[in-house]
Amino acid sequence: MATAGEIAEAYADWQTRCNDNRRLAKMLRNWDRVVHLVASDTGDGFTVSVAGAVLADLETGLVGQPDLVVTATSEDFADLFWGDLNPSEKYVSGEIVLAGSSEDVMRLDAMSMVVFLDQ
Amino acid sequence: MVVVGAGYSGLCAARHLHSAGLDVVVIEARDRVGGRVWTELTPGGAVVDQGGQWLGPTQDHLSALAEEFGVATFPTFLDGANVELRAGDRHEFNGLVPTSDPDASADAIAALLELDLLCLEVSPAEPWTHPDAVRLDQQTVGSWVSENVESEAARDLIATAVLAVYGAEPSELSLLFALGYAHGGGSMSALVRTAGGAQELRFVGGAQQMAIRLAEVLGDRVVLDAPVVGVAHGPEGVTVVADRGQAGGGRAPWRVGAQWLVMAMPPAVQSRVSFEPPLPGARDQLAQHAPMGSVTKVHAVYDEPFWRQNGLSGQMIADAGALRAVFDDSPDDASHGILLGFIAGHTDRRLESAGPDGRRSIALEELARSFGPRAAQPAEFTEQRWSAEPYSRGGPVACFGPGLLTGCGEALRAPVGPIHWAGTETAVAWSGYIDGAITSGIRAADEVIAEAGTR
Repeated sequence: MATAGEIAEAYADWQTRCNDNRRLAKMLRNWDRVVHLVASDTGDGFTVSVAGAVLADLETGLVGQPDLVVTATSEDFADLFWGDLNPSEKYVSGEIVLAGSSEDVMRLDAMSMVVFLDQ
Repeated sequence: MVVVGAGYSGLCAARHLHSAGLDVVVIEARDRVGGRVWTELTPGGAVVDQGGQWLGPTQDHLSALAEEFGVATFPTFLDGANVELRAGDRHEFNGLVPTSDPDASADAIAALLELDLLCLEVSPAEPWTHPDAVRLDQQTVGSWVSENVESEAARDLIATAVLAVYGAEPSELSLLFALGYAHGGGSMSALVRTAGGAQELRFVGGAQQMAIRLAEVLGDRVVLDAPVVGVAHGPEGVTVVADRGQAGGGRAPWRVGAQWLVMAMPPAVQSRVSFEPPLPGARDQLAQHAPMGSVTKVHAVYDEPFWRQNGLSGQMIADAGALRAVFDDSPDDASHGILLGFIAGHTDRRLESAGPDGRRSIALEELARSFGPRAAQPAEFTEQRWSAEPYSRGGPVACFGPGLLTGCGEALRAPVGPIHWAGTETAVAWSGYIDGAITSGIRAADEVIAEAGTR
């Protein structure tokens, strides 16, 4: 189990890596979205906004109307943000759930593949 | 009723008609059922699927059929690192995309995403209704890639995926067709993936078993070794003429009359049957414009899946050479090891002249490069060249070229008098796959049942 603080710390690392990733920046063009993260075990909620190809700071709590909702265990969120967990396997097996339009789900999936090319 | 073709499509059509209480005869050219699905037992006792073999998520009809006949499934082996042969070098990678050239992989992922997003716009049932259908249908997948993907290495990755999925070169496939086809299975990525995609599960004992069981249910209503050569049709029904093998040897023409006919085969095979009166121009032209992909499956059988001990999954992709994609095809109990390789597209056509021994040594050399010298010494080796099969003429599926869907697409499923069209090429969901074969047969049978109800 990971606390909200640990997830925030991991996210800050992830945020820096993503915002420095020029390959990802290309894919984030014209994709301004609000993503809610729900930790299934602790019930903690977080909000990530993407605007102008930049990931904003993590907000605590579910803020605003989400385009996408990602549900996973707190541990998986922390591992994913530290870059230790490639989410595609857990997504395929249904342990990580993405809810949103087909288009947004496809984009998020592709983006995570690009991020994890360097891991 | 007559059903021509005892692949999954024809067999499912026939069973559906039979269950509705209608008399049915299935006429099959080969001396076996299953069509493009064929499981062979090697002399050494290995089960090899020479044709269609996988089950993926949302292929609910195939999965129901397996359950009905008690055929178990197991996941395609995936643990360990995959191998990539690129620009003459060997690399290992984890996950779906190679990491040896991250820029190229990122470009390929971005391109695949764009194709996935485009495919959501294209109706798998009626691709020609897309507002931009003509523009999409005058391009090929290859021309789209040339215009939209900068790096050559990324283009190679996409070509490898296209060859593995369609058995055809990107330059042979209409973009509109490729998008509608992919949408029918969910997305292009769904077709490419193993876990979570079209290659996720295999059948214990092979993929042909359900076809054999369906044929058992139909009993002597299935007639083998009787290639249909001609169909006479009119408002009152059809007369089908087959060249039937005789019990004591020899062949003789066999005429079967019926009120309705279901043709369950790819358009290119259908086009070799003569129709009297001739089929409407659009339907005949459709069949002329829909060549089969070209694919050969090779299986190398070893006493054990030795690559697993070296941390390898048995999956390989290559940017050149004969084998562009390889999978671990060992049985569930790993009692022996099997590597399955695909030779597809132009390479498959060119390697005709190499002959079986030439192809075998090329394939084994590439397997050894990927998985180590042991791979060069299989206990058994098989190859199945689908282009050499007169009743498939290629595989895995018909590849529709530019202009076909916008020009003749509406003729794909439109009945011609008493003649109804089945075969996986006519499916809406999972066209090109076993699941699509099943639903296309049931759909054609339902058309006939509806018409029979009004007479």
